[in-house]
Amino acid sequence: MSKYYLFQDVKKCIGCHTCEVQCKSNKDLPSGPRPCQIIQVGPNLVNGLPRASFIFMPCFHCEHPWCVSACPTGAMQQRHTDGIVFVDKDLCVGCKACISACPWGAPQWNQESGKVEKCDYCKDRIDQGLKPACVTTCTTRCLKFGKVKEMTEIKRKRYAQHIASPENSAF
Amino acid sequence: MDEALCPVHRTILYLSDQISSDNLKEPKIRRVSEQILKLLEEISNGHAGKDHLSAIDELIEEYFQESGDSGVGSYLKSVLTNERETFQSHLETGNCAAMDCIRLSPSPCQMACPAGIDIPTYLSLIGEGKDAEAIEVIRRDNPLPWVCGLVCTRPCEMMCVRARIDTPVSIKFLKAFAAERAMSLGHYLNPPQKPLNGKKVCVIGAGPAGLSASYYLALMGYQVRVVESLPVPGGMLMVGIPRYRLPREVIDREVAMIESLGVEFCYNTRFGKDITLEALKQEGFEAFFLAIGAHKSHKLGLDGEEFYSGKACVDPMKSGQGVIDSVEFLKQVALGNRRVPGRRVVIIGGGNVAIDAARTSLRLGVKSVTIAYRRTRSEMPADVEEVEHAEEEGVEFSFLTIPTLIEGDGTKVTGLSCVRAELIRKEGSDRLYPIPVEGSDYIMEADAIISAIGQFVDIDGMEAFTGVKWTRRGTIEVRHTCMETSEHGVFAAGDAVTGPATVIEAIGGGKRAAEAIDRYFNHIPQPRIPKVPVRYRREKPIEMPASTKMSLKRPEMSMLNIDRRRITFQQAELGYTENMVREEARRCLRCDICRRCGKCIDICRDKMGIGALKFGYMDFDHPVETDFRKTSETCITCGACAANCPNEAIVIEEKSGERILKLCGTILNRQKLLYCDSCNAVLGPAKYLDYVQNKTVHVAKASNQKGRLCSACLRKQSAFPG
Repeated sequence: MSKYYLFQDVKKCIGCHTCEVQCKSNKDLPSGPRPCQIIQVGPNLVNGLPRASFIFMPCFHCEHPWCVSACPTGAMQQRHTDGIVFVDKDLCVGCKACISACPWGAPQWNQESGKVEKCDYCKDRIDQGLKPACVTTCTTRCLKFGKVKEMTEIKRKRYAQHIASPENSAF
Repeated sequence: MDEALCPVHRTILYLSDQISSDNLKEPKIRRVSEQILKLLEEISNGHAGKDHLSAIDELIEEYFQESGDSGVGSYLKSVLTNERETFQSHLETGNCAAMDCIRLSPSPCQMACPAGIDIPTYLSLIGEGKDAEAIEVIRRDNPLPWVCGLVCTRPCEMMCVRARIDTPVSIKFLKAFAAERAMSLGHYLNPPQKPLNGKKVCVIGAGPAGLSASYYLALMGYQVRVVESLPVPGGMLMVGIPRYRLPREVIDREVAMIESLGVEFCYNTRFGKDITLEALKQEGFEAFFLAIGAHKSHKLGLDGEEFYSGKACVDPMKSGQGVIDSVEFLKQVALGNRRVPGRRVVIIGGGNVAIDAARTSLRLGVKSVTIAYRRTRSEMPADVEEVEHAEEEGVEFSFLTIPTLIEGDGTKVTGLSCVRAELIRKEGSDRLYPIPVEGSDYIMEADAIISAIGQFVDIDGMEAFTGVKWTRRGTIEVRHTCMETSEHGVFAAGDAVTGPATVIEAIGGGKRAAEAIDRYFNHIPQPRIPKVPVRYRREKPIEMPASTKMSLKRPEMSMLNIDRRRITFQQAELGYTENMVREEARRCLRCDICRRCGKCIDICRDKMGIGALKFGYMDFDHPVETDFRKTSETCITCGACAANCPNEAIVIEEKSGERILKLCGTILNRQKLLYCDSCNAVLGPAKYLDYVQNKTVHVAKASNQKGRLCSACLRKQSAFPG
């Protein structure tokens, strides 16, 4: 697992796809590949009202990535300093083995270059102390990027608030 | 930057380098640079139109406005000025002879052809049975496809890449078949002609160079008159090449096609004698094309040669014609004098003309014919096939034989005095030299001796062109890019320029001269660089299984039976059947599409670790045998080869439930596809998925995945596991 975590606050997300646009324009991608993608779930009727949720799907940067094992050329790599899984374009020959191997559908096919594209948490930006492209333009600020530890705090706090809220309160 | 690179490619590299290195800070300059780059890339991949160069010129001007140029503008401007012809040539010919512009790199056969015929295109058309269309493509560069299909020396086949697998494609003969078929069906047509422009060109000599120039000039709207001293058209085609190799009808029909364009032929008219330069100029001829050939034979320089020259006896069956030169001999026979030269004939020389004279002598009824050559069989300049045919017919050879004296009894020739030779290597030369062996003199009995030791240009009558310069070899001096002589408005090509050479060189020269004459009339400066062959189109490759591509073999040429061959002038080669022709055309590897860079092989072997592509013919570093059939044994159809092919020669496609890998139409592998259980998207063949699974098995064993899903469905599923 990478030492970073990209947290999406599903409650806040309105499915505007700005993250996707920003991601592709940052990587200068043609139509087709989507290193991060908003998956719409729903709408389903909840208490008689239609509700949809939008799930942000980047790469999870697995601890033991299947794509890295599948790659015959060594193009797909895991950065040992922080665990980011990325593809070295110069080594990629376009066999698509990583695409077939990934259980999450993270590696994407770039028809124009004949190579694979993949979310690498914008490692070049991170190395400069910046945030990944998707995070920077999120309209509702539902995307948050940081060390794994910091990110878990949000969920914990929210859970605490949830328990303490009047409806759920034991008081 | 590397000066040897194609200037178009070099400029693209330079400009992309400038753009990516952030040297161009100003937004406007950046935009202009990107626009120029786009236009250059279109020139480099064959998608450009006529206006591309002028558009680039205009864009370059923007560098110099306002803030001044940082160097990029002046660099581009100088390249566009100095290398303009190459840029123009990319647009006009679709051919990058330096092979740097990948999409435009030509096939070796086309580059080898002195007339630059688009060979892969016409082979494909013949393979599809489109003979008339093939002839139309050939005639854009060569107006005599039928003649060349029978007698060309086929430099193209020397370069044929298929020879690295088995034998070269029979490029030469396929032309003859297509021409014959098209002619017989009435589909052998002239292309549309431009209306007459009122300008007159005089062509001197109706040989291949003259015919070729007349054809292209007539198409361009010029009024052409051909002055020919012989009573027949064709020049050496008619009076040099014997009828058993090239039937007269073939020449007549193709000349008739040229005549039907309005070209006027004046036979039995010798320039300088029957008609003068003055008279022609007065008639309004403004340009002259000298295609007078090389019709004079070198003398042997032996005692007795002059004395016995042409001394024919009253009854040639009793004794021979004495000493005669091969050009004269073959001409006499071609023009209908079919008297036997003698009973025992000795021919001196080792080239194709010597073989022609020998085989012609046999057909006239001589008892024995011997070719005396100073060196050995392996040094003979004649075609190996021709030598073999001559041997089959009974021509004898006497190698390492130096003639020294013509023996005679005072009225007729009785023999040839010779001395044996041995070959020695001279310093600084690759060729072996014959030197006489002391005291090995002997006499070969003969009553006719035919000399075939080379020809030269007959300059009689050419004095009228006072400005024309001649080379030391006695040929006309021209600038080879435009075939213009040192006299303005006078052009020359063919044997008169090259010395005795090939039909196809003469045809190529004639075509270049026609283009140059057109430029001359339009006051356009002549090109500085030689014109590269034109690639007319990228014909779709013919699809066939790998086993077919490998098992098709070049057919044997069937020959007239040996008895009839020895005694008649019937065409010796009987040709191929239609089926043979279509199959032979399909053996072509389409080197106009696959430039044999070997990237696919490297990726499959070194990167993927599979090594399914056994293409030894394009892989000099790893000389393996070529076998297209072997690919399917190990190939997993991953498509990495296709994704990296710079010219879409090797492609992968999914069709009717299969994934198919093809190299220029040859189906290397086909595998059944598996589909996503959820959305029916393509997953790939089982062999490919197994390959991926085997690689990930040690990390993926915990997987509890049910069924097979595509990556899009997997993503959705992981977003919403319910």
